[in-house]
Amino acid sequence: MSLELNVDNLVKSFGQRKLFHVDQLRVGEGESLHLSGENGSGKTTLMKILAGLERPCSGRVMVTPKARRWWSDRIHPQVIYLHQTPYIFSGDVRDNVAYGLRLRSYSRRDVKLKVQQALAWARLEHLAEQPAYALSGGEKQRLALARAWILAPSLLLLDEPTANLDQHSVRAVSELVTQLLDKGTTVMVSSHQKNAVTDLCGRRLHLENLALQELGNAFSNELNNEPELKYYVQH
Amino acid sequence: MAALDLLFSGDAELWSIIWVSFRVSITAILLSLVPAIAVGFMLAMIDFPGRWMVIALFNALMAIPTVVVGLTLYLLLSRSGPFGEMHLLFSQPAMVIGQVLLCVPVLVCMSHSAFQGLDRRAWETARTLGAHCSRAAITMVCEARFALLAAVLAGFSRIISEVGCSMMVGGNILSYTRNIPTAIALETSKGEFAQGVALGLVLLLLALVLNFTLASVRGKGQLV
Repeated sequence: MSLELNVDNLVKSFGQRKLFHVDQLRVGEGESLHLSGENGSGKTTLMKILAGLERPCSGRVMVTPKARRWWSDRIHPQVIYLHQTPYIFSGDVRDNVAYGLRLRSYSRRDVKLKVQQALAWARLEHLAEQPAYALSGGEKQRLALARAWILAPSLLLLDEPTANLDQHSVRAVSELVTQLLDKGTTVMVSSHQKNAVTDLCGRRLHLENLALQELGNAFSNELNNEPELKYYVQH
Repeated sequence: MAALDLLFSGDAELWSIIWVSFRVSITAILLSLVPAIAVGFMLAMIDFPGRWMVIALFNALMAIPTVVVGLTLYLLLSRSGPFGEMHLLFSQPAMVIGQVLLCVPVLVCMSHSAFQGLDRRAWETARTLGAHCSRAAITMVCEARFALLAAVLAGFSRIISEVGCSMMVGGNILSYTRNIPTAIALETSKGEFAQGVALGLVLLLLALVLNFTLASVRGKGQLV
């Protein structure tokens, strides 16, 4: 499903302390964005606001088309946020992957089939019956991605997905993100440093001096042989 | 020996006392469970003005002596009290109400602590994966199940062994409102120790069963 995210005049403060201000941000279908910024600049908070998990102090986040359901909710079912350190529910790996599907009206057979596909996609088949808490950091990150992938989100917000992972795990996560992008999923990755996953992103956003700035398009700059992204496009 | 004889001979009076005790206390805990856990959940998850005052109030209620709750309820249910028309005094429903009042603060405070001890990410993960608020709350209950089970056992232990409230609003009527603690108090005051010891053994056995159950369930939930 094609999905568009529009942000207007978003302000987030904690008490008297202003965290950031976003004038405007438009994210279209199939885009990939890298959100950078120093520690404490508000990357996680901004992503949670975009996912509907936190409320902004003012401004609005609009995800179109709106979800059709009888209850009102600011969390869009096509937008999924993944924590820096994923929360793993008690139970085994299979239960965790099936969590989101069980909330939707799928038959037991469909759930089983899709879970099997998701486990294969994340290369976690051999761990399916293991207690999920016993997984390593990289495996937990892959489990979290599989748990999201199975729901076929239109927008995936990955909060520091490679923090504390070794090179092998970073490569594995990066492969999974590449596959999501190939499927047309819009992906936003937050990270304060460049890595294999952020290198996949076409747009660069930077949180600095209490504002979100766009640092241009990475791919066009690479084509123009520009070594550094230097210009600011403030909306 | 006389106490064991009473227990194993199927003494009707003794077993009616045990039956009343369990019937009243299980009814009270079942009535309290869902609302108390819901309040504990809301106190842990929803920030509202005066939340700390509500938490402090429940903490204070947890420490109130059972006779004070019994006295308050007696005044409310006695013929001249506001609920005297309902003719509930010296009945099992009155004992149930008293025990609900005693165990709700325990359940609220302990479930509040259980939910507070959970990671906020559990709620956020459930929500972002498509759970609406009530389904996410059920997920939180599942995640906190060991701590919540401990809360339920603590609440049940408080009411099954309380004597003050049951004595005041139940009236200690044989085969109707006489439960284990009030019977022990009565029999001991009469110098009849056999029945008191037999009933004491039942409470002791119950305490052991409940605690071993909790320990074994917790053992299964340990990380290492």
